[in-house]
Amino acid sequence: MQRSPKETSVKLAVNLGGLAMKNPVTTASGTFGAGREYHDFVDVAALGAVTTKGVSLNGWEGNASPRIAETASGMLNSIGLQNPGVAHLKEVELPWLAERGATAMVNVSGHSFDEYVAVIEALEEAPVAAYEVNISCPNVDAGGMTMGCHGPSVEKVVSMCRAATKRPLIVKLTPNVTDVAEIARAAEAAGADAISLINTLLGMAIDARTRTPKLARVVGGFSGPAVKPVALRMVWQVAQAVKVPVLGMGGISTGEDAVEFMLAGATAVAVGTANFVNPTATVDVIDGVIDYCEEQGVADVNELIGALKC
Amino acid sequence: MALCNENAPILVNEEAGCNIWLMTVAAPEIAAAARPGQFVHVRVPGMDDHILRRPLGIYVADAQAGTVDMMYQVLGFGTDRMTALVPGDAVELIGAIGRGWQPPAGCKRALVVAGGVGSAPLYPLVEELKASGAEVTAVLGASTIDALVARERYGAVLGCEPACSTDDGSFGRAGFCTPLVEEALAAAAAEGAPYDYVACCGPEPLMRIVAAMAADAGVFCEVSLERRMACGVGACLSCVVDTVAGKRRACVDGPVFPASEVVW
Repeated sequence: MQRSPKETSVKLAVNLGGLAMKNPVTTASGTFGAGREYHDFVDVAALGAVTTKGVSLNGWEGNASPRIAETASGMLNSIGLQNPGVAHLKEVELPWLAERGATAMVNVSGHSFDEYVAVIEALEEAPVAAYEVNISCPNVDAGGMTMGCHGPSVEKVVSMCRAATKRPLIVKLTPNVTDVAEIARAAEAAGADAISLINTLLGMAIDARTRTPKLARVVGGFSGPAVKPVALRMVWQVAQAVKVPVLGMGGISTGEDAVEFMLAGATAVAVGTANFVNPTATVDVIDGVIDYCEEQGVADVNELIGALKC
Repeated sequence: MALCNENAPILVNEEAGCNIWLMTVAAPEIAAAARPGQFVHVRVPGMDDHILRRPLGIYVADAQAGTVDMMYQVLGFGTDRMTALVPGDAVELIGAIGRGWQPPAGCKRALVVAGGVGSAPLYPLVEELKASGAEVTAVLGASTIDALVARERYGAVLGCEPACSTDDGSFGRAGFCTPLVEEALAAAAAEGAPYDYVACCGPEPLMRIVAAMAADAGVFCEVSLERRMACGVGACLSCVVDTVAGKRRACVDGPVFPASEVVW
Protein backbone atom coordinates (compact mmCIF):
# COMPACT_ATOMS: atom_id res chain seq x y z
CA MET A 1 0.00 0.00 0.00
CA GLN A 2 2.94 2.38 0.64
CA ARG A 3 3.17 4.88 -2.19
CA SER A 4 6.18 6.56 -3.77
CA PRO A 5 6.17 9.17 -6.51
CA LYS A 6 6.19 8.03 -10.14
CA GLU A 7 9.35 7.79 -12.23
CA THR A 8 10.13 10.88 -14.28
CA SER A 9 12.88 12.59 -16.21
CA VAL A 10 11.76 15.97 -14.85
CA LYS A 11 14.40 17.41 -12.50
CA LEU A 12 12.63 17.83 -9.18
CA ALA A 13 15.42 18.74 -6.75
CA VAL A 14 15.32 22.18 -5.15
CA ASN A 15 17.45 23.97 -2.60
CA LEU A 16 15.59 25.75 0.16
CA GLY A 17 18.14 28.05 1.78
CA GLY A 18 20.74 25.32 2.08
CA LEU A 19 18.27 22.48 2.62
CA ALA A 20 18.66 20.08 -0.30
CA MET A 21 15.27 18.58 -1.14
CA LYS A 22 14.88 15.74 -3.66
CA ASN A 23 11.57 17.28 -4.70
CA PRO A 24 9.80 20.46 -3.67
CA VAL A 25 7.21 18.85 -1.39
CA THR A 26 7.33 18.63 2.40
CA THR A 27 4.67 18.31 5.07
CA ALA A 28 3.15 21.16 7.04
CA SER A 29 4.14 20.90 10.66
CA GLY A 30 1.47 19.34 12.87
CA THR A 31 -0.33 17.52 10.09
CA PHE A 32 2.01 14.57 9.66
CA GLY A 33 3.22 13.71 13.17
CA ALA A 34 6.85 12.79 12.75
CA GLY A 35 6.13 10.73 9.65
CA ARG A 36 5.56 7.39 11.35
CA GLU A 37 1.78 7.84 11.42
CA TYR A 38 1.69 7.96 7.61
CA HIS A 39 4.26 5.25 7.01
CA ASP A 40 1.59 2.73 5.94
CA PHE A 41 0.56 5.12 3.16
CA VAL A 42 3.65 6.91 1.87
CA ASP A 43 7.40 6.33 1.75
CA VAL A 44 8.63 9.15 3.97
CA ALA A 45 12.06 9.03 2.32
CA ALA A 46 10.46 9.93 -1.02
CA LEU A 47 9.31 13.32 0.24
CA GLY A 48 11.40 16.47 -0.20
CA ALA A 49 11.43 16.59 3.59
CA VAL A 50 9.31 15.54 6.53
CA THR A 51 8.56 18.55 8.70
CA THR A 52 7.84 17.28 12.18
CA LYS A 53 5.18 18.45 14.62
CA GLY A 54 6.17 21.54 16.65
CA VAL A 55 8.39 20.55 19.55
CA SER A 56 9.10 22.39 22.78
CA LEU A 57 11.73 21.74 25.42
CA ASN A 58 9.77 19.77 28.00
CA GLY A 59 6.53 18.86 26.31
CA TRP A 60 3.12 20.53 26.44
CA GLU A 61 -0.33 19.13 27.25
CA GLY A 62 -2.08 21.23 24.63
CA ASN A 63 -5.57 22.69 24.80
CA ALA A 64 -8.91 21.39 26.04
CA SER A 65 -11.37 19.57 23.73
CA PRO A 66 -13.10 20.05 21.38
CA ARG A 67 -10.00 20.94 19.44
CA ILE A 68 -11.32 20.97 15.87
CA ALA A 69 -14.34 22.12 13.90
CA GLU A 70 -15.14 21.56 10.26
CA THR A 71 -15.93 24.73 8.29
CA ALA A 72 -16.77 25.39 4.65
CA SER A 73 -13.90 23.89 2.62
CA GLY A 74 -11.65 23.94 5.65
CA MET A 75 -11.28 23.36 9.33
CA LEU A 76 -10.32 25.07 12.55
CA ASN A 77 -7.87 23.56 14.99
CA SER A 78 -6.84 24.47 18.46
CA ILE A 79 -4.44 21.69 19.39
CA GLY A 80 -2.12 24.01 21.28
CA LEU A 81 1.17 22.42 20.23
CA GLN A 82 0.69 19.30 22.34
CA ASN A 83 4.01 17.46 22.17
CA PRO A 84 6.06 15.14 24.35
CA GLY A 85 9.16 17.34 24.38
CA VAL A 86 12.42 17.44 22.46
CA ALA A 87 13.99 14.39 24.14
CA HIS A 88 11.32 12.08 22.73
CA LEU A 89 11.76 13.56 19.26
CA LYS A 90 15.52 13.14 19.49
CA GLU A 91 15.52 9.63 20.92
CA VAL A 92 12.57 8.05 19.11
CA GLU A 93 11.26 9.95 16.10
CA LEU A 94 14.38 11.38 14.48
CA PRO A 95 16.29 8.06 14.54
CA TRP A 96 13.23 6.41 12.97
CA LEU A 97 13.20 8.98 10.16
CA ALA A 98 16.98 8.68 9.72
CA GLU A 99 16.80 4.87 9.45
CA ARG A 100 14.37 5.27 6.58
CA GLY A 101 16.51 7.81 4.80
CA ALA A 102 14.04 10.66 5.27
CA THR A 103 15.09 14.31 5.29
CA ALA A 104 13.94 15.76 8.61
CA MET A 105 12.99 19.38 9.17
CA VAL A 106 12.13 20.05 12.81
CA ASN A 107 9.51 22.64 13.68
CA VAL A 108 10.79 24.38 16.82
CA SER A 109 8.42 25.96 19.34
CA GLY A 110 8.86 27.75 22.63
CA HIS A 111 7.13 29.89 25.25
CA SER A 112 10.17 32.17 25.48
CA PHE A 113 13.12 33.29 23.36
CA ASP A 114 15.41 31.06 25.41
CA GLU A 115 13.22 27.99 24.91
CA TYR A 116 13.58 28.15 21.12
CA VAL A 117 17.35 28.25 21.52
CA ALA A 118 17.30 25.42 24.05
CA VAL A 119 15.33 23.18 21.68
CA ILE A 120 17.80 23.83 18.85
CA GLU A 121 20.76 23.21 21.14
CA ALA A 122 19.21 19.91 22.23
CA LEU A 123 19.02 18.80 18.58
CA GLU A 124 22.40 19.89 17.24
CA GLU A 125 23.79 16.35 17.45
CA ALA A 126 20.61 14.75 16.08
CA PRO A 127 19.90 13.86 12.43
CA VAL A 128 18.15 17.10 11.53
CA ALA A 129 18.51 18.66 8.07
CA ALA A 130 16.89 22.01 8.91
CA TYR A 131 14.94 23.88 11.56
CA GLU A 132 11.66 25.65 11.06
CA VAL A 133 11.18 28.28 13.75
CA ASN A 134 7.50 28.43 14.65
CA ILE A 135 6.66 32.02 15.54
CA SER A 136 3.18 31.67 14.13
CA CYS A 137 1.04 29.17 16.06
CA PRO A 138 -2.22 30.97 16.95
CA ASN A 139 -3.19 28.45 19.65
CA VAL A 140 -0.77 29.19 22.49
CA ASP A 141 -0.73 32.04 24.99
CA ALA A 142 3.03 32.61 24.94
CA GLY A 143 5.47 32.25 22.07
CA GLY A 144 4.03 31.28 18.69
CA MET A 145 2.04 33.98 16.97
CA THR A 146 2.49 36.45 19.85
CA MET A 147 6.17 36.59 18.86
CA GLY A 148 5.61 36.53 15.12
CA CYS A 149 3.40 39.62 14.90
CA HIS A 150 6.00 42.06 16.14
CA GLY A 151 9.07 42.94 14.04
CA PRO A 152 11.54 43.45 16.92
CA SER A 153 10.48 40.15 18.58
CA VAL A 154 10.94 38.35 15.27
CA GLU A 155 14.42 39.80 14.87
CA LYS A 156 15.35 38.85 18.41
CA VAL A 157 14.19 35.21 18.31
CA VAL A 158 15.59 34.61 14.83
CA SER A 159 18.95 36.17 15.76
CA MET A 160 19.18 34.00 18.85
CA CYS A 161 18.30 30.83 16.88
CA ARG A 162 20.75 31.86 14.15
CA ALA A 163 23.54 32.09 16.72
CA ALA A 164 22.67 28.60 17.96
CA THR A 165 23.02 26.72 14.67
CA LYS A 166 24.68 26.69 11.28
CA ARG A 167 21.98 24.46 9.85
CA PRO A 168 19.39 25.90 7.47
CA LEU A 169 17.03 28.05 9.49
CA ILE A 170 13.54 28.53 8.10
CA VAL A 171 11.20 30.95 9.84
CA LYS A 172 7.48 30.19 9.69
CA LEU A 173 5.27 33.26 9.60
CA THR A 174 1.70 33.91 10.60
CA PRO A 175 -0.78 35.46 8.17
CA ASN A 176 -2.42 37.27 11.10
CA VAL A 177 -0.48 40.50 10.58
CA THR A 178 -1.05 43.77 8.79
CA ASP A 179 2.06 43.56 6.63
CA VAL A 180 3.56 40.11 6.19
CA ALA A 181 6.37 41.47 3.99
CA GLU A 182 7.65 43.59 6.86
CA ILE A 183 7.80 40.58 9.18
CA ALA A 184 9.53 38.53 6.46
CA ARG A 185 12.16 41.23 6.02
CA ALA A 186 12.75 41.26 9.78
CA ALA A 187 13.33 37.49 9.74
CA GLU A 188 15.64 37.77 6.75
CA ALA A 189 17.63 40.58 8.34
CA ALA A 190 18.09 38.46 11.48
CA GLY A 191 19.61 35.61 9.50
CA ALA A 192 16.78 33.38 8.28
CA ASP A 193 17.82 31.14 5.37
CA ALA A 194 14.24 30.81 4.15
CA ILE A 195 10.73 31.93 5.01
CA SER A 196 7.79 29.56 5.29
CA LEU A 197 4.17 30.64 5.25
CA ILE A 198 1.33 30.63 5.92
CA ASN A 199 0.55 29.22 9.32
CA THR A 200 -3.18 29.08 10.04
CA LEU A 201 -5.50 32.08 9.98
CA LEU A 202 -7.08 32.94 13.29
CA GLY A 203 -10.72 31.99 13.04
CA MET A 204 -13.81 30.99 14.97
CA ALA A 205 -16.92 28.84 14.63
CA ILE A 206 -20.17 29.06 16.58
CA ASP A 207 -23.01 26.58 17.06
CA ALA A 208 -26.08 28.78 16.74
CA ARG A 209 -28.38 26.20 18.36
CA THR A 210 -26.39 25.89 21.57
CA ARG A 211 -25.00 29.45 21.32
CA THR A 212 -21.56 28.10 22.17
CA PRO A 213 -18.20 28.23 20.39
CA LYS A 214 -17.32 25.02 18.55
CA LEU A 215 -13.78 25.08 19.95
CA ALA A 216 -13.05 24.87 23.68
CA ARG A 217 -10.52 27.69 23.33
CA VAL A 218 -13.13 29.68 21.34
CA VAL A 219 -10.70 30.68 18.57
CA GLY A 220 -8.39 28.50 16.49
CA GLY A 221 -6.34 28.20 13.34
CA PHE A 222 -8.17 28.03 10.01
CA SER A 223 -6.71 25.81 7.29
CA GLY A 224 -7.66 23.76 4.25
CA PRO A 225 -8.60 24.58 0.64
CA ALA A 226 -10.54 27.69 1.74
CA VAL A 227 -7.34 29.53 2.75
CA LYS A 228 -5.45 28.98 -0.49
CA PRO A 229 -6.12 32.40 -2.06
CA VAL A 230 -4.87 34.18 1.08
CA ALA A 231 -1.81 31.93 1.23
CA LEU A 232 -0.98 32.46 -2.44
CA ARG A 233 -1.25 36.22 -2.07
CA MET A 234 1.07 36.25 0.95
CA VAL A 235 3.61 33.92 -0.64
CA TRP A 236 3.66 36.20 -3.69
CA GLN A 237 4.13 39.31 -1.51
CA VAL A 238 6.90 37.77 0.57
CA ALA A 239 8.73 36.31 -2.43
CA GLN A 240 8.95 39.82 -3.81
CA ALA A 241 10.02 41.32 -0.47
CA VAL A 242 12.95 39.04 0.42
CA LYS A 243 15.94 37.47 -1.34
CA VAL A 244 15.83 34.20 0.59
CA PRO A 245 13.70 31.35 -0.74
CA VAL A 246 10.12 30.77 0.34
CA LEU A 247 8.38 27.58 1.45
CA GLY A 248 4.73 28.06 0.51
CA MET A 249 1.74 26.38 2.08
CA GLY A 250 -1.96 26.88 2.73
CA GLY A 251 -4.68 24.73 1.19
CA ILE A 252 -2.48 22.66 -1.12
CA SER A 253 -4.08 19.34 -2.02
CA THR A 254 -3.12 18.79 -5.68
CA GLY A 255 -0.06 19.10 -7.87
CA GLU A 256 -1.62 22.06 -9.61
CA ASP A 257 -2.07 23.83 -6.26
CA ALA A 258 1.65 23.28 -5.62
CA VAL A 259 2.57 24.64 -9.05
CA GLU A 260 0.54 27.79 -8.36
CA PHE A 261 2.56 28.43 -5.18
CA MET A 262 5.81 27.95 -7.08
CA LEU A 263 4.67 30.33 -9.82
CA ALA A 264 3.91 32.85 -7.06
CA GLY A 265 7.52 32.55 -5.93
CA ALA A 266 7.78 29.52 -3.65
CA THR A 267 10.86 27.31 -4.00
CA ALA A 268 9.12 24.47 -2.21
CA VAL A 269 5.68 23.73 -0.80
CA ALA A 270 4.12 21.95 2.15
CA VAL A 271 1.02 19.77 2.24
CA GLY A 272 -0.97 20.12 5.45
CA THR A 273 -4.68 19.63 6.03
CA ALA A 274 -4.93 17.58 2.84
CA ASN A 275 -3.13 14.75 4.67
CA PHE A 276 -6.20 14.37 6.89
CA VAL A 277 -8.46 13.99 3.88
CA ASN A 278 -6.17 11.86 1.79
CA PRO A 279 -3.33 10.00 3.51
CA THR A 280 -1.33 9.83 0.26
CA ALA A 281 -1.78 13.56 -0.45
CA THR A 282 1.98 14.26 -0.28
CA VAL A 283 2.82 11.72 -2.98
CA ASP A 284 -0.24 12.68 -5.00
CA VAL A 285 0.97 16.30 -4.99
CA ILE A 286 4.46 15.25 -6.16
CA ASP A 287 2.90 13.13 -8.91
CA GLY A 288 0.71 16.06 -9.89
CA VAL A 289 3.72 18.37 -10.15
CA ILE A 290 5.43 15.77 -12.36
CA ASP A 291 2.32 15.50 -14.56
CA TYR A 292 2.19 19.27 -14.93
CA CYS A 293 5.86 19.53 -15.84
CA GLU A 294 5.62 16.71 -18.36
CA GLU A 295 2.52 18.22 -19.95
CA GLN A 296 3.99 21.72 -20.04
CA GLY A 297 7.45 20.68 -21.20
CA VAL A 298 9.11 21.84 -17.99
CA ALA A 299 12.44 20.00 -17.69
CA ASP A 300 13.37 21.33 -14.25
CA VAL A 301 10.91 22.26 -11.55
CA ASN A 302 13.11 25.25 -10.65
CA GLU A 303 11.86 26.88 -13.87
CA LEU A 304 8.50 27.34 -12.16
CA ILE A 305 9.76 29.42 -9.23
CA GLY A 306 8.41 32.95 -9.59
CA ALA A 307 7.44 32.30 -13.22
CA LEU A 308 4.09 34.03 -12.79
CA LYS A 309 3.31 36.22 -15.79
CA CYS A 310 2.02 39.55 -14.57
CA MET B 1 -1.53 -4.56 11.21
CA ALA B 2 -0.82 -1.99 8.58
CA LEU B 3 -3.51 0.53 7.84
CA CYS B 4 -4.83 0.79 4.31
CA ASN B 5 -6.96 3.26 2.40
CA GLU B 6 -9.46 1.19 0.45
CA ASN B 7 -11.80 2.39 -2.24
CA ALA B 8 -14.90 0.51 -1.17
CA PRO B 9 -17.85 -0.01 -3.53
CA ILE B 10 -21.19 0.21 -1.75
CA LEU B 11 -23.23 -3.00 -1.87
CA VAL B 12 -26.11 -2.04 0.42
CA ASN B 13 -27.19 1.27 1.96
CA GLU B 14 -30.56 1.15 3.68
CA GLU B 15 -32.40 2.69 6.57
CA ALA B 16 -32.77 0.08 9.29
CA GLY B 17 -35.12 2.23 11.31
CA CYS B 18 -35.45 5.52 13.10
CA ASN B 19 -32.79 7.42 11.16
CA ILE B 20 -30.29 4.61 11.65
CA TRP B 21 -28.77 3.25 8.46
CA LEU B 22 -26.75 0.20 7.54
CA MET B 23 -24.12 0.35 4.82
CA THR B 24 -22.31 -2.71 3.47
CA VAL B 25 -19.21 -2.11 1.39
CA ALA B 26 -16.67 -4.33 -0.33
CA ALA B 27 -13.39 -3.73 1.48
CA PRO B 28 -11.53 -7.05 1.57
CA GLU B 29 -8.30 -5.82 3.16
CA ILE B 30 -10.05 -4.08 6.03
CA ALA B 31 -12.53 -6.96 6.42
CA ALA B 32 -9.60 -9.34 6.84
CA ALA B 33 -7.73 -7.11 9.27
CA ALA B 34 -10.55 -5.85 11.49
CA ARG B 35 -10.63 -6.69 15.18
CA PRO B 36 -13.70 -6.18 17.39
CA GLY B 37 -14.05 -2.53 18.44
CA GLN B 38 -11.98 -1.04 15.64
CA PHE B 39 -13.32 1.61 13.28
CA VAL B 40 -12.99 2.94 9.75
CA HIS B 41 -12.44 6.56 8.72
CA VAL B 42 -14.82 7.27 5.86
CA ARG B 43 -14.34 9.75 3.04
CA VAL B 44 -17.80 10.42 1.72
CA PRO B 45 -17.91 11.36 -1.98
CA GLY B 46 -19.70 14.42 -3.26
CA MET B 47 -19.13 16.71 -0.29
CA ASP B 48 -15.96 18.54 -1.23
CA ASP B 49 -16.84 21.54 0.91
CA HIS B 50 -16.98 19.27 3.98
CA ILE B 51 -13.45 18.03 3.82
CA LEU B 52 -13.01 15.78 6.83
CA ARG B 53 -13.61 12.06 7.00
CA ARG B 54 -16.22 10.53 9.31
CA PRO B 55 -15.18 7.84 11.83
CA LEU B 56 -17.60 4.90 12.00
CA GLY B 57 -17.38 1.78 14.14
CA ILE B 58 -17.16 -1.54 12.34
CA TYR B 59 -20.40 -3.48 12.87
CA VAL B 60 -19.69 -6.68 10.95
CA ALA B 61 -16.44 -7.51 9.18
CA ASP B 62 -16.82 -10.59 7.02
CA ALA B 63 -13.32 -11.67 6.01
CA GLN B 64 -14.61 -14.43 3.72
CA ALA B 65 -17.02 -12.23 1.83
CA GLY B 66 -14.60 -9.28 1.97
CA THR B 67 -17.31 -6.97 3.25
CA VAL B 68 -17.61 -4.44 6.04
CA ASP B 69 -20.93 -3.33 7.55
CA MET B 70 -21.26 0.06 9.21
CA MET B 71 -24.21 1.34 11.21
CA TYR B 72 -24.71 5.08 11.25
CA GLN B 73 -27.18 7.47 12.75
CA VAL B 74 -28.00 10.51 10.64
CA LEU B 75 -26.79 13.38 12.79
CA GLY B 76 -25.17 15.94 10.53
CA PHE B 77 -24.17 16.86 7.02
CA GLY B 78 -21.85 13.90 6.45
CA THR B 79 -24.19 11.18 7.61
CA ASP B 80 -27.08 12.87 5.80
CA ARG B 81 -25.04 12.88 2.60
CA MET B 82 -24.24 9.19 3.15
CA THR B 83 -27.94 8.32 2.95
CA ALA B 84 -27.98 9.55 -0.66
CA LEU B 85 -25.33 7.03 -1.73
CA VAL B 86 -26.49 3.97 -3.65
CA PRO B 87 -24.95 0.63 -4.66
CA GLY B 88 -22.42 1.38 -7.35
CA ASP B 89 -21.15 4.47 -5.54
CA ALA B 90 -18.01 4.04 -3.46
CA VAL B 91 -16.62 5.41 -0.25
CA GLU B 92 -12.95 5.56 0.69
CA LEU B 93 -12.10 3.88 3.98
CA ILE B 94 -8.98 4.04 6.11
CA GLY B 95 -8.92 1.01 8.37
CA ALA B 96 -9.00 -0.95 10.42
CA ILE B 97 -8.06 1.66 13.02
CA GLY B 98 -7.47 1.64 16.73
CA ARG B 99 -7.24 -0.37 19.90
CA GLY B 100 -10.34 -2.54 20.04
CA TRP B 101 -11.94 -4.41 22.93
CA GLN B 102 -9.46 -6.28 25.08
CA PRO B 103 -11.41 -8.54 27.42
CA PRO B 104 -9.35 -10.16 30.18
CA ALA B 105 -7.69 -13.43 29.18
CA GLY B 106 -9.93 -16.36 29.96
CA CYS B 107 -13.01 -14.14 30.34
CA LYS B 108 -15.85 -16.41 31.50
CA ARG B 109 -18.78 -14.09 31.95
CA ALA B 110 -19.20 -10.75 30.21
CA LEU B 111 -21.79 -7.99 30.31
CA VAL B 112 -22.11 -5.91 27.19
CA VAL B 113 -24.03 -2.62 27.35
CA ALA B 114 -24.97 -0.74 24.18
CA GLY B 115 -26.76 2.57 23.87
CA GLY B 116 -28.20 3.36 20.44
CA VAL B 117 -25.76 2.78 17.59
CA GLY B 118 -23.18 1.77 20.21
CA SER B 119 -24.58 -1.70 19.54
CA ALA B 120 -22.53 -1.81 16.31
CA PRO B 121 -18.91 -1.89 17.58
CA LEU B 122 -19.95 -4.20 20.44
CA TYR B 123 -21.47 -6.82 18.16
CA PRO B 124 -18.17 -8.35 16.96
CA LEU B 125 -17.03 -8.50 20.59
CA VAL B 126 -20.12 -10.53 21.50
CA GLU B 127 -19.38 -12.88 18.60
CA GLU B 128 -15.78 -13.29 19.72
CA LEU B 129 -16.66 -13.85 23.39
CA LYS B 130 -19.32 -16.41 22.48
CA ALA B 131 -16.88 -18.22 20.21
CA SER B 132 -14.38 -18.39 23.07
CA GLY B 133 -17.02 -20.04 25.25
CA ALA B 134 -17.78 -17.10 27.53
CA GLU B 135 -21.27 -16.51 28.83
CA VAL B 136 -22.47 -13.14 27.56
CA THR B 137 -25.31 -10.93 28.74
CA ALA B 138 -26.24 -8.07 26.42
CA VAL B 139 -28.19 -4.98 27.37
CA LEU B 140 -29.43 -2.82 24.50
CA GLY B 141 -30.91 0.60 25.12
CA ALA B 142 -32.56 2.76 22.48
CA SER B 143 -35.00 5.62 22.13
CA THR B 144 -37.78 3.49 20.68
CA ILE B 145 -38.46 0.01 19.27
CA ASP B 146 -37.51 0.94 15.70
CA ALA B 147 -34.09 2.08 16.87
CA LEU B 148 -33.23 -1.38 18.27
CA VAL B 149 -31.84 -2.30 14.87
CA ALA B 150 -29.25 -4.81 16.10
CA ARG B 151 -31.61 -6.75 18.39
CA GLU B 152 -32.23 -9.71 16.09
CA ARG B 153 -28.59 -10.08 15.25
CA TYR B 154 -27.66 -10.04 18.94
CA GLY B 155 -30.39 -12.58 19.63
CA ALA B 156 -29.03 -14.92 16.99
CA VAL B 157 -25.47 -14.91 18.29
CA LEU B 158 -26.50 -14.98 21.96
CA GLY B 159 -29.05 -17.74 21.46
CA CYS B 160 -31.48 -15.72 23.56
CA GLU B 161 -33.15 -12.33 23.52
CA PRO B 162 -30.91 -9.47 24.70
CA ALA B 163 -32.24 -7.39 27.59
CA CYS B 164 -33.72 -4.28 26.01
CA SER B 165 -34.98 -0.93 27.13
CA THR B 166 -36.58 1.92 25.23
CA ASP B 167 -36.94 5.48 26.40
CA ASP B 168 -40.58 5.55 25.29
CA GLY B 169 -41.47 2.09 26.58
CA SER B 170 -42.33 0.76 23.11
CA PHE B 171 -40.20 -2.35 23.71
CA GLY B 172 -38.60 -3.95 26.75
CA ARG B 173 -38.10 -2.00 29.94
CA ALA B 174 -39.32 1.61 29.79
CA GLY B 175 -36.68 4.23 30.44
CA PHE B 176 -32.91 4.12 30.35
CA CYS B 177 -31.01 0.85 30.24
CA THR B 178 -28.99 1.51 33.41
CA PRO B 179 -31.43 -0.31 35.77
CA LEU B 180 -31.03 -3.42 33.59
CA VAL B 181 -27.26 -3.14 34.00
CA GLU B 182 -27.54 -2.77 37.76
CA GLU B 183 -29.86 -5.77 37.97
CA ALA B 184 -27.57 -7.91 35.80
CA LEU B 185 -24.54 -7.07 37.94
CA ALA B 186 -26.48 -7.78 41.16
CA ALA B 187 -27.95 -11.05 39.86
CA ALA B 188 -24.55 -12.37 38.78
CA ALA B 189 -23.05 -11.48 42.15
CA ALA B 190 -25.97 -13.14 43.95
CA GLU B 191 -25.43 -16.29 41.89
CA GLY B 192 -21.83 -16.34 43.04
CA ALA B 193 -20.70 -16.09 39.44
CA PRO B 194 -19.93 -12.41 38.99
CA TYR B 195 -19.03 -10.90 35.63
CA ASP B 196 -15.34 -10.57 34.93
CA TYR B 197 -15.78 -8.02 32.14
CA VAL B 198 -18.11 -5.15 31.27
CA ALA B 199 -17.95 -3.47 27.85
CA CYS B 200 -19.97 -0.37 27.07
CA CYS B 201 -20.47 1.83 24.02
CA GLY B 202 -23.07 4.54 23.72
CA PRO B 203 -23.69 8.12 24.80
CA GLU B 204 -20.94 9.31 27.15
CA PRO B 205 -23.25 9.76 30.19
CA LEU B 206 -24.31 6.12 29.84
CA MET B 207 -20.68 4.97 29.66
CA ARG B 208 -19.81 7.05 32.71
CA ILE B 209 -22.66 5.54 34.74
CA VAL B 210 -21.95 1.97 33.60
CA ALA B 211 -18.25 2.45 34.37
CA ALA B 212 -19.14 3.56 37.89
CA MET B 213 -21.48 0.57 38.36
CA ALA B 214 -18.78 -1.81 37.17
CA ALA B 215 -16.23 -0.19 39.46
CA ASP B 216 -18.62 -0.55 42.42
CA ALA B 217 -19.07 -4.22 41.55
CA GLY B 218 -15.31 -4.64 41.20
CA VAL B 219 -15.55 -5.68 37.54
CA PHE B 220 -13.03 -4.65 34.86
CA CYS B 221 -14.76 -2.35 32.39
CA GLU B 222 -13.91 -0.95 28.98
CA VAL B 223 -15.62 1.89 27.12
CA SER B 224 -15.40 3.06 23.50
CA LEU B 225 -15.02 6.82 23.21
CA GLU B 226 -15.88 9.14 20.36
CA ARG B 227 -14.27 12.49 19.65
CA ARG B 228 -14.15 14.94 16.77
CA MET B 229 -11.41 13.55 14.59
CA ALA B 230 -9.36 14.81 11.67
CA CYS B 231 -6.60 12.45 10.50
CA GLY B 232 -7.71 9.19 12.17
CA VAL B 233 -4.15 7.86 12.15
CA GLY B 234 -2.66 9.47 15.24
CA ALA B 235 -0.96 12.48 13.69
CA CYS B 236 -3.14 15.52 14.33
CA LEU B 237 -3.99 15.18 18.05
CA SER B 238 -7.52 16.46 17.50
CA CYS B 239 -9.32 13.59 19.18
CA VAL B 240 -7.55 13.43 22.52
CA VAL B 241 -9.21 11.97 25.61
CA ASP B 242 -8.29 12.99 29.16
CA THR B 243 -6.91 9.94 30.94
CA VAL B 244 -4.98 9.29 34.13
CA ALA B 245 -1.90 9.04 31.88
CA GLY B 246 -2.58 12.45 30.28
CA LYS B 247 -4.13 13.19 26.93
CA ARG B 248 -4.40 10.10 24.71
CA ARG B 249 -5.61 9.85 21.13
CA ALA B 250 -9.08 8.33 20.70
CA CYS B 251 -8.12 7.15 17.21
CA VAL B 252 -5.06 5.01 17.81
CA ASP B 253 -4.63 4.82 21.61
CA GLY B 254 -8.39 4.07 21.73
CA PRO B 255 -11.18 4.16 20.81
CA VAL B 256 -11.56 1.52 23.52
CA PHE B 257 -10.06 2.47 26.86
CA PRO B 258 -10.16 0.77 30.25
CA ALA B 259 -12.85 2.80 32.05
CA SER B 260 -10.59 3.21 35.09
CA GLU B 261 -8.14 5.22 32.97
CA VAL B 262 -10.69 7.72 31.70
CA VAL B 263 -11.02 11.07 33.46
CA TRP B 264 -14.74 11.72 32.93
